[in-house]
This record gives sequence, C-alpha cells and structure tokens, in this order.
Amino acid sequence: MDSAFIAAFEILSFGAIIVLVTLGLGIIASMMGIFNFAQGEFVLLGAYVTYLAATAGLPVWVGMLAAPFIVGLFGFVLERLIIRRFYLAPIVAMLGTYAIGLIIREAVRGLIGGRYISVSEPLGGSLDIGDIHVSMWRLVIIVITILVMVASYLLLARTTFGLKIRATLENPALARASGINTSAIYGSTFAFGAALAGLAGALIVPVFTLFADLGIRFLIQGFVAVMVGGIGSFAGPVAGAGIIGVLSAALPWVMAPVVADVLVFVLAIVFIKFRPQGLLSGKGV
Amino acid sequence: MMQIARTAPAKSAGAQRWAVLPFLEIGALVVALVLPLLLQDYLTVFATRVLILAIFAVSFDLVWGYAGIMSFGQALFFGAGGYGAALLARDLDVVSMLLILPAGIIIGLVFALFVGGFLLLGRHPASVIFVALGTLTGAYAADRLARGWYYLGGQNGIPSIPPMSLGSYDFTEGPAFYYFVLAILVVTYIGCRFLVRSQFGLALAGLRENEQRIAFFGYKVQHLKLIIFALGGAIAGLGGSLYAFHEGFVWPNILGVVISTQVVLYVLFGGSGTLIGAIIGAVVIEGVSFWLSDNYREIWPIILGGLLLLVILFRPSGLVSLLLSERERVGSFGRPPKGGHRGSS
Repeated sequence: MDSAFIAAFEILSFGAIIVLVTLGLGIIASMMGIFNFAQGEFVLLGAYVTYLAATAGLPVWVGMLAAPFIVGLFGFVLERLIIRRFYLAPIVAMLGTYAIGLIIREAVRGLIGGRYISVSEPLGGSLDIGDIHVSMWRLVIIVITILVMVASYLLLARTTFGLKIRATLENPALARASGINTSAIYGSTFAFGAALAGLAGALIVPVFTLFADLGIRFLIQGFVAVMVGGIGSFAGPVAGAGIIGVLSAALPWVMAPVVADVLVFVLAIVFIKFRPQGLLSGKGV
Repeated sequence: MMQIARTAPAKSAGAQRWAVLPFLEIGALVVALVLPLLLQDYLTVFATRVLILAIFAVSFDLVWGYAGIMSFGQALFFGAGGYGAALLARDLDVVSMLLILPAGIIIGLVFALFVGGFLLLGRHPASVIFVALGTLTGAYAADRLARGWYYLGGQNGIPSIPPMSLGSYDFTEGPAFYYFVLAILVVTYIGCRFLVRSQFGLALAGLRENEQRIAFFGYKVQHLKLIIFALGGAIAGLGGSLYAFHEGFVWPNILGVVISTQVVLYVLFGGSGTLIGAIIGAVVIEGVSFWLSDNYREIWPIILGGLLLLVILFRPSGLVSLLLSERERVGSFGRPPKGGHRGSS
C-alpha cells in the first residue's frame, strides 16, 4: 500500500513537471502557431537564473521568483526582434527558433562548462504522513503546477487580455479591425509562454540539477504532448502533457525503462497519426 | 519557406546570365581531387569524414530541399545503415565492400519506407509539422533504444569494426579511402542531379512550392513523397555504412537528434534545393568547426547558431545563393523556359 502510494506520488509529480514544461510550449503553439524549438532553452535559462541567484548569495527562492520575469522579458525582446518575422512560415519558425535555442544552450554551456550543478531546494526535507515520506519539494511543484494551470486558464478565459489573445488566434484580420493591437498581443503571448518556461526551469532545477542539455530533455516530450493534446486550445496541451507525463512515469514501473521510454513516443505518434486534431480538438480555451 | 522563396527570384533573376552551377561543380570536384595531395594524413582522414557527411547531407537535401519534406530525423537512416553494417561485420564477419554498401542502402531504404509509409501515407494528409515531429521523435526513440539495448552495445556502441575490403585489399583510413568515398559521392551526386533534372524532379520542386497544385495536376502526391523519402533514406544508409567502416565504430549518437539537426544545419547553411549547396554546407561547417576547435571550441557553436539565424532571416536559400540564381532550385525539364539563363543541360 505504501509503495503504491509512493509510486502514485512519483507519477503525479513527474506528470506535474511535464505539464509545467509543456504549458508555455502549448500556449505559444496554440495561440501563435509557432513550434518554439527554443522553449527547452527557456527552461534552461530559468534554471540558470536560479543558479545565478544562488551563487550571488541570495536565497534560492528569490532566483525562482525572478526567473519567470527575466525569461519572460527575454522572450518579449526575442519576439520583437526575431520571432515576429516567422509567423507565416511554420518551418522557418522551427529552424529559426532552433538556431536561437542553439545559441542559448551553447552560451550557457560556455558559462557553466560541462558540469552538472546541483541547486538546493528552498524547501527541503520530506513530508511525513504516517510511515510515508514524500519529498517536500516535489509536493510544492505539484501545488504550484496546479496554481499556474488555474491562473493561466483564468487569464485566458476570464480576462479581457485573454479574450484579445483568443480573438487574435481565431481571426487576426478581424481582431486588428476591431482595434486590437495584434502585434503587441503576439509579443506578450510569447513573453508569457517564455515566462512559464522560465518558471518551470526554476522549479525543476533542484530535482534535475543544472546542465546545458536540461532543456533538450523536455523539448521532444513537450512537443509530442502538445500534438497529442491538440493544438488550438489551452486545455489540449495540458491534457496531452498530463497523459504523456503520467505514462512516461508509470510505464517504467511495469517494464524495462528503455522500452517504456520508446513506447510512449511510439504510442503518441501513432495516436497523432490517426487523430491529427488531437485529444481535445476545437478552438476556445 | 514558401513565402520567402517566392520573393527571392525577383532579386536574383537577371543578375546571372550564364550558368554558374557547372563551374561550381567542376571547381568543387577539382579541389576535392587534389586535396589529399596537399593535406597531411590526419587531415585526409578528417576530409574523408566530411565527404561521408556530405553524402548524408545530399540525402537530406533531396528530401527537404527538393520535395519539401521536413525530415528532422534523417540520422535515423544514417545510423541504421551504420549499425547494420557494424552488425554484419561483428556477427557475420562480412567486410566485403560489395556486400556492405548494398546492405547499408537496403537498410536505409527499408527503414525509410517504414517510417515514411507510416508518416506520409494515409487518409489524413500529413501536416509538415507532424512529419517533422514524427521523424524527430523516431530518431530520438532510436537513439534511446540503441543506448539501452545490450545487443547493440548500449552506450558504448559497437567498437573495433574491421576495415572494409574489396577482394584482398583492405580499405583503411587514408587517401585510398578518401578517393573511394569521393567516387561514391560523385556517383550519388550525378544520380541525384539526373533525378532532380527529370520530370520527376520538377514535380518534386513543385511539391515544395505548392503541393496542392501538383495534386491537381494529377500526381499522386503521397506516393511521390514516399519515393523520394525512401530514396533519401537509402542514400543516408549508404553514408551510414561508410561512416561505420571509416570510423571503425558506431555509437548511439549517430542515430540521434544531434546528427539529425547537424545535417539540417549543413543544408540550410549551404543552400537547400541545390545539391551542391548541401555539400558546400557540410564542408564549410565541418571545416570551420575543425579549424576553430582548438582555440574557440566553446564559442564556435554560438557563432554557428548566430550565422544560422542570419542565414534563415536574410538568405533563406543559403550561402550558395550568393553564386547561384533561384532558378537552380526549381530545375528544368525539356526546353529551357523563356528567358532561362541556364545552359540546356
């Protein structure tokens, strides 16, 4: 019973991490039609900012708080300068963002070397419920993921800003005609997606340690999750990420990890092949 | 791609009145022929590796540059050819060139037929993004599988592959191997060039520019795509089997995302849709990174990323577009079009 509970917790916490990482990717893909290959590097940047704050002697949580804002700002500048040229050409966007990702990744690699740097958790220790010990920090990640999910949903579904984003997604020309500054909307949406990646990076760095290829690890998983969930909505990528995250964490308990890893991808691609619109098709939130 | 490509001819048309491509090709060949005479042995070995990667780059260019299929996991076929050749040598003691190279080709072909058949055929026309992600995921999954599979040597791959032989002659690293690879590259290049200058090639270029129109002309678009995808896979498999025997080992990286994206960089940088561009891209990127690797190892990938971004933003047809006109990417079949400035090759 205890081990089942621990397994469930592990699966849940990994699922939460994948959701957190995919959220920004999904928002950018859904709302802007851009498959951002630099998203993994935004995650890396978030982790790196946290590490920088820690080495500067600040408490780790200060870095974690700052990471989304810094990465978001970076994303905004990037969108203004480069990404905005890519909107009409999805493949060029893929390659362009890949190049950006390459620059960021190699720059960080140059700065930290080939090392694996551990960053301590702001909330260490474990939570004890009877005989069961669960990692406090993983619990925090789950809670924050839920909060971020709800907040993002409310932002997109219930605020004027969210309405404008969705309007821009549905019909850019009409949105412009209605007085919405679509270019500004794109900029802030991209910044928002980048900020979510930065937050994800900051939160997961204590679990995975900081290394230059941290982002790559999640990129393909994130893309597959977005495709499985369905592009064009907020709920789709989140659902996809939940499924992919839970599957990749759960399958290794019942089969060899390597087989499980590959199986998740194969299943996902087969699923997308026969249901290209994804799990939750349709526009809206 | 399309939007940018469409505006480009206006700029370059008229700037070139005579055929540049043959000069470029012959020039490249002459340089490649005399190179081993000038280089030290260890550099010849390096140059051989670059030529093998150039074969690989041609395979990707055929698929992406001509047919517009974004195969982001082309290394899957390269690596499959490499692993296949390595396994033949290790388990069956097959080192004869006459068996190894066809085996590499067939392995690449079969893998590409399976992957391409799954991704490209079917009732739902596959979106560009789906193909890109599907191939990328395929390469990633293959990499993971090779890392975890004891039979394939796991993390370490398959070491100490014996040299490839022809009759009683062993091909070891050096000038002989270099000229051998060069010959294969030239044959592949000429074959591909005939292909892209045929009616089939014209249909492929049309596929890249406007898929729907090609479909309305009565071509079976999905079949065209699968054929070229399989052909690309076969050439990549050939390159992979050469690579395995040249390096003397294979390891999971040659299947994976790193090499897959590397080949995208070659072609993008050199110029997609011109076969010579792919080769130039491979040579320039590998050459410069070799040259810089002593002093600027850390900075070079950053510079590469920056250059790549500039190329994507301002020169979407790649370096080679500085010399070649946009028309080379479209090709021609039969009579040269009116106002055409290419020789009637």
